[in-house]
Amino acid sequence: MVFFAHGSNHRVESVTYANYADESKRTAVENLVEVKDVHFSRGETSIYKGVSLVVPQGKVTAVMGPSGCGKTTLLRLIGGQLKPQQGSVEFAGINIPSLHRGALYEVRKRMSMLFQSGALFSDMTVFDNVAFPIREHTNLPENIIATIVKMKLEAVGLRGAGSLFPNELSGGMARRAALARSIALDPELIMYDEPFAGQDPISMGMLVKLIKELNHTLGLTSIVVSHDIHEVMSIADHVAIMANKQVVAQGSPEELRASDNPLVQQFLKGDPDGPVPFHYAATPYHEDLLGSSR
Amino acid sequence: MLRFFQQVGRDTLTTIRGIGEASIMLVQALIGKPQPIKMFPLLIRQLYVVGVQSMLIILISGLFIGMVLALQGYTILVDFGAEQALGPMVALSLLRELGPVVTALLFAGRAGSALTAEIGLMRATEQLSSLEMMAVDPLRRVVAPRFWAGFISMPLLAFMFSAVGIYGGYFVGVQWLGVDDGAFWSVMQASVDWQHDVMNGFIKSLVFAVVVTWIALYKGYTAMPTSPGISAATTQTVVYSSLAVLGLDFVLTALMFG
Amino acid sequence: MEARKIEMLVGVFVTAAIAAIVFLAMQVANNSDATRGETYTLYAKFDNIGGLKVRSPVKVGGVVVGRVTRITLDREYFEPLVEMRISTDFRGFPDTSSVSILTSGLLGEQYVGLEPGFIDEDVFTLEDGDYIYTTNSAIVLENLIGQFLFSQGNE
Repeated sequence: MVFFAHGSNHRVESVTYANYADESKRTAVENLVEVKDVHFSRGETSIYKGVSLVVPQGKVTAVMGPSGCGKTTLLRLIGGQLKPQQGSVEFAGINIPSLHRGALYEVRKRMSMLFQSGALFSDMTVFDNVAFPIREHTNLPENIIATIVKMKLEAVGLRGAGSLFPNELSGGMARRAALARSIALDPELIMYDEPFAGQDPISMGMLVKLIKELNHTLGLTSIVVSHDIHEVMSIADHVAIMANKQVVAQGSPEELRASDNPLVQQFLKGDPDGPVPFHYAATPYHEDLLGSSR
Repeated sequence: MLRFFQQVGRDTLTTIRGIGEASIMLVQALIGKPQPIKMFPLLIRQLYVVGVQSMLIILISGLFIGMVLALQGYTILVDFGAEQALGPMVALSLLRELGPVVTALLFAGRAGSALTAEIGLMRATEQLSSLEMMAVDPLRRVVAPRFWAGFISMPLLAFMFSAVGIYGGYFVGVQWLGVDDGAFWSVMQASVDWQHDVMNGFIKSLVFAVVVTWIALYKGYTAMPTSPGISAATTQTVVYSSLAVLGLDFVLTALMFG
Repeated sequence: MEARKIEMLVGVFVTAAIAAIVFLAMQVANNSDATRGETYTLYAKFDNIGGLKVRSPVKVGGVVVGRVTRITLDREYFEPLVEMRISTDFRGFPDTSSVSILTSGLLGEQYVGLEPGFIDEDVFTLEDGDYIYTTNSAIVLENLIGQFLFSQGNE
């Protein structure tokens, strides 16, 4: 089943909720994150006009869309680093934008984010980077921290690289180290911001495997923001496609492939022209050339 | 003409907003319950980066400035037969003015610019965002220890600057130019007052410490996360702190010694 | 290892700073200021104070016993009124004492010279807030030269 969000958002939304409520009544909160009718703009530029999407608990949710459509912004909204002008962003039933500073920091301990650049602290070794959130938020003795860090590093295959500094790592290794750091405190939700961007096929394969494995073995919920269709479609349980400042479709990968929405098809197939136009909005070409409108 | 007023208005508003933002940043960084156990190692590390690493340039500059003061002062004072006044001249100019001011200027160039660039790079590489998402407040984790390190280091550096400068003056004046040893120190002691001269210089350097460190941190924290953005922020740190130090020095001098 | 080195260097830094402060305190500044600690106030009116300034020393036979704390103009007679704070270590000057404004050396600073007077049975000692009535004003060089030229012209 595919949900189209053209025009009437609210109707689509209600259908979505009804659907998931039917499907999984096992857990109390079946959707870990629910974004409802969010409007967001930076200064004069509007980025979202009524975005709604859900992230089901325990699954890998992919958010795809053309570059510049504000996918990263979505993650920052969920993390509470940005506040929407309108609408709600709920994490485990808590409305993130309404939280004050202290409560927000409490909620953030339950989620983590893998940044595009990895964002490892350049003045610490890989080991200390992974140990950082544990040292910061717990009072565990150093030998227990060391054990946890080694387990996390082993999970990403970097146990041997603990003593290296971030500038000694390759791009793929840095991202895996950052991944180890983001699972250090066993979060409920992990958000990946473009995890595959600029990676060679081998490290891309490693990351794909890691995301999938971590999601299953640790039982966490993942949001992957990306536009690498093949990798994402292979691991995602739930996919949302964003375009034109809205979520145009969400559903399982199979549902999306079967979709007859031209925008979804254009995106999945990678056609250069279609509902997302090749040309940036301009005056008619011949008029411009003939100089009749300047 | 209208455009001129619009420009002036816009600049004024931008400046006021900047000052407001900077104040909020500093307040958020410094208030809240202190965590001495976590903060102390960070503070030590920043004292090393900000203080120890600025020490050499401060000591060398202080020595040379003291020597130049003695040399210049001597050629003037000897005409009046008042070369005994060399001691107080060197000591007072160092303690009241040159110690705090030159230290602050060198500090802005050495440590301030480094602070701005470091924090700007942390912003550009998403390290600050990453801290926020790890539920660690970057203002308290990154900004606060650097601020305290600057606040503590600068007066200490200024004291060292003055002490070394006076020794440089002694070296040139007494050892080289032949001013009487006893007269040099005793006349100096007679006219330098601990409270009026040394402490007022100390207060000056505390004020400069706050201003320079604050500007450096704010410029780094709000730098555009690009290479030109960080380089512009670094330049602005040095320019703004130097201007602020010289302007405030005039005000403080007028209040203290006027 | 790294952390220990940093701690050590910070220790060196702080020690150097303390050494600098001690040097300034012991060798450079005079901390034995007579106006520190307990003081009492004396007043004196002069005809002319010359170049006397606030914080100029008050000396008895060359020993600093206090400092000038305020210089105002008397509203009634338009005379300069000098307020001095004298350390309580130096109590008990007789009220026959006199003060003069003197200059240390030809180009030196001006100071207040206090000359203790005779002590007699009916002489009181100066207490807080008392006035010293016997005063000698500063010698103004221009007046001196003027007088000299005048006396030359008379001959």
